[in-house]
Amino acid sequence: MLAREASDEPTRRSAADGSAPVILLEGITKVYPMGEETVHALRGVDLTIRSNELAAIMGPSGSGKSTLMNIIGCLDVPTSGRYCLNGRDVARLSQSELARVRGRGIGFVFQTFELLARQSALRNVELPLIYSGASAFERRRRATESLARVGLADRMGHRPNQMSGGQRQRVAIARALVQRPALLLADEPTGNLDTQTGDEILGLFADLHRDGQTIVIVTHEPDVAARCRRVVRLRDGRVESDEENA
Amino acid sequence: MRVALANIWNAFEQLWAHRFRSLLTVLGIVIAVTSTITVVGVVQGFTRYVSEFLQGLGTNAMWVWPERPGGEAGKRLGRITLDERDVAAIEDGCPALRRISPLVKPPDVLIQYGRDELRVPIEGASAPYHAIRNFRVDFGRSFSIVDVEERHHVCILGREVLRKLNLDEGVVGRTILLAGRRFDVIGVLEEKGSFFGNSQDNLVLIPYTMALKMYPALLRKIAMTAQATSEEAVPEARAQIVNLLRRRHRLDAYQPNDFNIVTQDEILAAFNRLSLVATAVLAGIVGVSLLVGGIGIMNVMLVSVTERTREIGLRKAVGARRRDILLQFLIEAVFLSLLGGMLGIGLGYALSAVASLHPQMVNVVIPWWAVALGFGISTCTGVVFGLVPAIKAALLNPIDALRHE
Repeated sequence: MLAREASDEPTRRSAADGSAPVILLEGITKVYPMGEETVHALRGVDLTIRSNELAAIMGPSGSGKSTLMNIIGCLDVPTSGRYCLNGRDVARLSQSELARVRGRGIGFVFQTFELLARQSALRNVELPLIYSGASAFERRRRATESLARVGLADRMGHRPNQMSGGQRQRVAIARALVQRPALLLADEPTGNLDTQTGDEILGLFADLHRDGQTIVIVTHEPDVAARCRRVVRLRDGRVESDEENA
Repeated sequence: MRVALANIWNAFEQLWAHRFRSLLTVLGIVIAVTSTITVVGVVQGFTRYVSEFLQGLGTNAMWVWPERPGGEAGKRLGRITLDERDVAAIEDGCPALRRISPLVKPPDVLIQYGRDELRVPIEGASAPYHAIRNFRVDFGRSFSIVDVEERHHVCILGREVLRKLNLDEGVVGRTILLAGRRFDVIGVLEEKGSFFGNSQDNLVLIPYTMALKMYPALLRKIAMTAQATSEEAVPEARAQIVNLLRRRHRLDAYQPNDFNIVTQDEILAAFNRLSLVATAVLAGIVGVSLLVGGIGIMNVMLVSVTERTREIGLRKAVGARRRDILLQFLIEAVFLSLLGGMLGIGLGYALSAVASLHPQMVNVVIPWWAVALGFGISTCTGVVFGLVPAIKAALLNPIDALRHE
């Protein structure tokens, strides 16, 4: 475990120069039946996100934004197309392999935090490590580290219902970071927060990005997108625009 | 392995978090197992009690008494008799018998000693009675041959009679009145104990010849008790008695016996059949209650899966595989029912202990297999009824689960 980490660390740092693609999507389509009709949620999406990018995916509802996020997050598989996550083709993986990729390669941040209400912040952050089989000692160490990273070193024993919304989202981010994932995938991370707290969370994302973390934020708020360096807009299942913010 | 342990731990945490609900959930199983343990314990205790009583009736013993058989064939028979000559013939003509004693059973008689008097059951017998019935004289002596042949006015008292008359063993050698006649007390029977509240020691024995003299109507209604030479000889002895009596009573092949004969083994076997049937019926009832308990668990687990859909979605998003979720929910169900099983076994023991406090109650015997059964069936119930909710949880699509309201 420790040996693997030691070798992990330099790779991630060296990839921070922005050349290696973390996400490589080629001709991704997603079709699913809805009653009698079939819905074409994605009609051929090509997208490359490189290491250490901070990208926003925007689009109105029905644009295929959520479907794309599910595929990027390995929660769903595309109908056709190629998806390489961190150099590994994940488009045709089995359920159990997808679970493994989700657990180790992707950190999720949800709009509604999705914390286990009855468990302490520390236990919440330890959750992904439980499923990857880390020892209790290792879990404790890395969860503590991760909570400290998001500025909650003094709130580890608190339960989510004893915390503010911003603190809860920080716990969720700590949980997403605890496996040192190749990709941090956030779905409307500020949607349930007031403007000021939302700003703080976006500030935290910016800090993480500065430290080399690859982050994709799915949002419909222009304010959030404005703080990302790159904005990908979707419409009707296709990439409408893909531009760098000034 | 570590992941599996963590899943098991998750299950425990979940149950602890909802401890009141968990307790309510297992109530069905608790009741089922409690009733299994208690009922099996009581039935077993009862069985042992009756078996011991039946064995106490004698060793390789059998009883013969005159009885008109039922039905048309019975009505056509002449007088139904069994007399002293029959007894003597059996005594001489049945080599498979070790000893034999006639039994004369008159109605209860009034016994008087000083100013005390009471009605007691009385039996006429001869000396071998004690050996056949395992009912010895532990103070004084039994009937001698002379006592029987000469119809002496002698009697042997049971311990309960002694108690009721406020006497002790010093009464041996004194005289009492039985139905107005003077009898010498020659012995006291050992304590035999009671059977379902009926004291077996409430008894007066007199020589059977004396009983016949007092109640001549019984001359042709003598019963007898006999002992075979060994356990294996019991059926042979029975056959010899039947053949001899049929010959003596000149019964044709088509005519039924004009007497009845029962061996101790037959009584035991009949009782064992009865106890087996009772156990089987009870097992059926317990099975139904376990089914109900299991459905209760399944119901609560299904509700729990629905309630925790988002949590399941999240667990899957952070790397839980289907088998992790399956294991967690299955462990919850199994642990719930195991908990129910343990509570049930504990309660069953407690209830048995409480039941044993009742003076009329037999000693409750809880056999090890009832405990094993309680654990076994509760675990199986957990697995069987936990499987459906666990599979449901494991197959949840993480996207839908996370969007579940």
